[in-house]
Amino acid sequence: MASNFSIDKKDIFFTLFDLFEVEKIYKDIPAFRDQTREDFEMILSEAANFATNTIAPINQPGDKNPVRFEKGEVIVPKEYLEAYKQFCENGWVATSGDPEFGGQGLPNGIHSSASEMFFAASIAFYMYPGLTMAAARLIKAYGTEEMKKKYVHRLYTGEWQGTMCLTEPSAGSAVGDLKATAKREKDHYLITGQKIFISAGEHNMTSNHIHLVLARVEGAPKGIKGVSLFLVPKFMVNDDGTLGARNDVECIGIEHKMGIKASATCTLSFGENGKCIGYLIGEENKGIQYMFMMMNEARMGVGLQGLACASAAYLEALKYAQERIQGTSIEDFKNADAPRIPIIKHPDVKKMLATMKAYTEGMRMLCYQASVFADLAENSLDPEIKEKNHGLLDLYTPIVKAYCSDMGFKVTELAVQVFGGYGYCSEYPVEQYLRDCKIASIYEGTNGIQAMDLLGRKISMKGGLLLMTFLNDFNVWCEENTNHPAFGELVKKLEATKNRLAEVSMKFAELSMGGDMAYPAFSATNYLHMFGDTVLGWLWVKAAIVAEKKLNELFAKKGIKTDEAKAKEIAENPDAAFYDGKIKTAHFFVNHLMTRTEWLAQSILSLDRSGLDINFIQ
Amino acid sequence: MKILVTAKRVTDPDMKIKVKPDGTGIVTDGMNYKINPFCEIAVEEALRIREKGNQAEIVVVGIGPKEAATELRTALAMGADRAILVLIDKYYDSTVVAKILKKIVEEEKPDLILTGKQAVDDDSNQASQMLAALLGYPQACFASKIELTDGGKKAKVTREVDGGLETIQVELPAIVSADLRLNEPRYPTVPNILKAKKKPLKEVPVDSLGIDVTPKTEFVKMTEPPTRKAGIKVPDVATLVDKLKNESKVL
Ligand SMILES: Cc1cc2nc3c(=O)[nH]c(=O)nc-3n(C[C@H](O)[C@H](O)[C@H](O)COP(=O)(O)OP(=O)(O)OC[C@H]3O[C@@H](n4cnc5c(N)ncnc54)[C@H](O)[C@@H]3O)c2cc1C
Repeated sequence: MASNFSIDKKDIFFTLFDLFEVEKIYKDIPAFRDQTREDFEMILSEAANFATNTIAPINQPGDKNPVRFEKGEVIVPKEYLEAYKQFCENGWVATSGDPEFGGQGLPNGIHSSASEMFFAASIAFYMYPGLTMAAARLIKAYGTEEMKKKYVHRLYTGEWQGTMCLTEPSAGSAVGDLKATAKREKDHYLITGQKIFISAGEHNMTSNHIHLVLARVEGAPKGIKGVSLFLVPKFMVNDDGTLGARNDVECIGIEHKMGIKASATCTLSFGENGKCIGYLIGEENKGIQYMFMMMNEARMGVGLQGLACASAAYLEALKYAQERIQGTSIEDFKNADAPRIPIIKHPDVKKMLATMKAYTEGMRMLCYQASVFADLAENSLDPEIKEKNHGLLDLYTPIVKAYCSDMGFKVTELAVQVFGGYGYCSEYPVEQYLRDCKIASIYEGTNGIQAMDLLGRKISMKGGLLLMTFLNDFNVWCEENTNHPAFGELVKKLEATKNRLAEVSMKFAELSMGGDMAYPAFSATNYLHMFGDTVLGWLWVKAAIVAEKKLNELFAKKGIKTDEAKAKEIAENPDAAFYDGKIKTAHFFVNHLMTRTEWLAQSILSLDRSGLDINFIQ
Repeated sequence: MKILVTAKRVTDPDMKIKVKPDGTGIVTDGMNYKINPFCEIAVEEALRIREKGNQAEIVVVGIGPKEAATELRTALAMGADRAILVLIDKYYDSTVVAKILKKIVEEEKPDLILTGKQAVDDDSNQASQMLAALLGYPQACFASKIELTDGGKKAKVTREVDGGLETIQVELPAIVSADLRLNEPRYPTVPNILKAKKKPLKEVPVDSLGIDVTPKTEFVKMTEPPTRKAGIKVPDVATLVDKLKNESKVL
């Protein structure tokens, strides 16, 4: 295959260590205190090696030979078996898991960055261990001591698969409508019902499956308030850890899909014979609360999928654009003998690549920042910092999920465009990225649901505190930087965009106070994108400030003073070119992409309801 | 037993190398470094020998700047027990490497010395042989298979030679250099990476070894390989034949 899979380690390191200075942040957290930048770099370098050499090569085979369903068994592509085994042996399943249970105890920030690499190599592959890790963390947080002892360790090692079972035929976005039931029986419950679209629900890579299932205990209140969470093993686990009898849960089919074809999407039937044993996690009727922990983590993961696809597709397109020769320079349009040039020299292609770079690296900043919020929310010793970061994480989660999956798809689409006709053909990898990426805007709560979560829940949570915290920090930062010698202009534009976001947010508050539910819901996706663009603008200017500092240090160290010498250094030294590229991309983002916020704002503030009022006829 | 393995820091072979305009070396800005792939194979082999039930301490040695510690850490993360980094900051050649290693061997007294057959940066392929000569040890170069025999007193080594394989037996202590097909090195696991920093890594300034580190060769100049000239299109076969005969003189 004509694949040039690569990982942008340089940008990943810049974002973690130079922009967010995670090493400093983690120094204040006892659990991470002895971990140094050197450790992180080594771990991430090995993650990059593993992703590149072991996972990426099975991504296309997995697409060509999808998972198969045979007599109740799901068979993964054969390449998956060995890769999965190695992945587990190397300790990549539970990078951020608690060491007490066999996890590696790394911060979320580092885990996210490794996850980005694994997803970039193959979303279909990394979904398996990703779900396991999230399931194990849920059991660890809310399960009984016995459950923790029995299950967490075996999940952290990847020996068993974890799943999350919410969806039913008539309960997709509306989880509260689910019908699966649970009947109390001595120390356990009997589960009955059908779940569909369950990722990793059945397959032959692990010896057991631990399903986390939402179901309704008999007599429970209607809707989401009557939903409880159960742990349902495929094989019962004896007290000594050995596997016992097969539980009454069965896979009755798998989906045939547009992308992530090597990821098993299963229909699971629970209690066909009335004997499906489930154990209650936590208390009855509080299931969704617990499941939210897993869902929030999974939403971060899905945002990373968008970023990862974008990054892989962008780097492929960049390489291709440097090699593909076509046409002559626009300046030479009259000269038939003019040299043929690589397409990267065509301004329209440059624009596409600049757009891809700006969104990809911007999403990386967004995802990593949210992961650092998660680290501080979980581990900070200062209750105020903990609380604040919890709030910011809550606010950012729907944005990370929906913005990165939408823009990730947009970037993969541009990659196909850069490749021209070849991009549309399966000989090149970008069309697969496009297909694989699409699912990210659908599962884990569709992006429409995320937008409603942002506007309907997060913005009004705690009387608007999350938004206020965000805007306060943003205001302070703008005031401090508005006269920045190099980026004052950009800061001023950013300030105006931030004010516009505040204005739009106020408008929504006003509308909902007046009892208008439909128009805000109609505009929620626009709002989420406006929010995302604004945050990315902020991050880009921050990155530019850091990059400029680094670039000046580099010049100073080498005694480079004149503009000419600087230009020469940028042309010759990849480090200098990297920082210079960051600065230019920040300008590009603010002036060409962040400006989208203005049309989004105009659309929202128009209060025009005609789209809502159309009477659609066939 | 004790196994001494070398782990050289080399420029990432997957990166484009640019020579400085004045020919004094390569441009190192933005360069990535790696453990020499042949050394990596040597480290892996040491680990496999140990895993076959031989009680062995595995010591890795690197020579270079302070930063070369990163590659030694990689070897430690793979499973080596401790590391020695000989610090040197001036030009050195294979003779210097051999002399330094000799000194280390005299101190450490390993039973087996495993090296890469060559380093992928300068491709010299001579340090191991020189070391064997200096120490007066048996050598087996370009190993594709190593087996300890005689209760660990000897090593049976299969060597890749032109047109086939040759199997020889050497008495330990000996020097064996690893070829590409000896094994496929493992990835360091996450727990082992985290453990690696707790393993001892000793830095030894080269001056403290009390040896003469004047190279036997002198670095003169480095140049880029000539770039291939663009091809030309010829109108017909006759012209092609003519050009092959008279211009390139291949016919
Ligand atoms: C490959 C794959 C893997 C999956 N993995 C899992 C898994 O592991 N576990 C699991 O439980 N589920 C899984 N799912 C299910 C997935 O989460 C659901 O498909 C998703 O939540 C949407 O539900 P639905 O398909 O029923 O769509 P619907 O809910 O019918 O939605 C259709 C459209 O209507 C919109 N919509 C619906 N309700 C509202 C509303 N109230 N407000 C605004 N818009 C609305 C949606 O945004 C969407 O655009 C997976 C699905 C796929 C395809």
